[in-house]
Amino acid sequence: MENKNEDLRFMQLRFIGKILAGFTHEIKNHLAIVKESAGLMGDMIQIGKTAENDSSQYLEIIRSIEEQIEKAIVHFKYLNRFSHRMDTPLSSFNINDCLEELTALLHRFANQKRISLEKDFNKDLPSINSSPAILHFLVFNFLEDKMSKLDKNSRIIVKTDLINGSVAIRIIPEGNVLEAETAKTPCIHEINDYVINMLSGTISTQGEETVITLPIAAT
Amino acid sequence: MKHKDIKILIVDDEVAFANTLAQRLQIRGIKVGIAYDGEQALSKLKKEELDVVVLDLKMPGMDGMEVLQEIKRVYPNIQVIMLTGHGTDKDEEQAKKLGGFDFLNKPVDIDTLEQKIKAAFKEKIERNIAAQ
Repeated sequence: MENKNEDLRFMQLRFIGKILAGFTHEIKNHLAIVKESAGLMGDMIQIGKTAENDSSQYLEIIRSIEEQIEKAIVHFKYLNRFSHRMDTPLSSFNINDCLEELTALLHRFANQKRISLEKDFNKDLPSINSSPAILHFLVFNFLEDKMSKLDKNSRIIVKTDLINGSVAIRIIPEGNVLEAETAKTPCIHEINDYVINMLSGTISTQGEETVITLPIAAT
Repeated sequence: MKHKDIKILIVDDEVAFANTLAQRLQIRGIKVGIAYDGEQALSKLKKEELDVVVLDLKMPGMDGMEVLQEIKRVYPNIQVIMLTGHGTDKDEEQAKKLGGFDFLNKPVDIDTLEQKIKAAFKEKIERNIAAQ
């Protein structure tokens, strides 16, 4: 049991590290564009292109800066929500919101493999009483595993639904599955089983698809 | 050595970043081409003689290390400057092992980048002379 807890802690830290690395990469890119855009306006002034004579080019650069800042704000919003999921061990939450922030934060990882991460959420799901931080971790494990096995130009659909009175998360890969890689984290299946027991849910597989079910919060 | 002699290729999947950086370097007299992924970069290198490649590390499809390896295999004299928002010490070490000229982090100071491009161009010329 002690070993399993240690493995779980290590894997959770690894997960948080991955999320932070993806986030910082994203933000650095936006900042780099803002910096180059501001620099370009400085260059234009130096070579005599004034705002009066070249207003359309200046306006285009200003719009680009605004767009990058808006994009960065969206990422900050998702990271903030993701971080606050760890505030309490249990809470009542909407599973779609929880998955929305996770998929947004994993977008870059998927994009690097040219995998499209798509959502198909049932908007009428009731809240569940569970651990959103642990759920993030569990869903990440499956998404990471499927991303590592899929060829480029594939897609993964994250679907939510009600199945037999439970809330279900279906993770459906579509595309060419590459030959199974050696698992980077050999204990991951045991960790996932351990985690799903903590959440009183179930994990099942149907072909390449994984289905996680979780009990609905008692009213 | 004149700036206008230098022909570079910026390879970055961030379209706005690549375009803006290209404009800034063009203002400084450098001839700049742009590719938005690794495959496009290799295809441009087949068609055009270039001196220096400014290459992003994390890109969809072929990543920067794969592109670097391929460039150094096919065009050993072309100098490659890695420019990344996601670089680790390990990445830097690997890029240098693969023959990368330098490794810079985003956001980059434009004067620093310009100096590195000039130094990389000089290195390419010296290698060409040595090979003759």
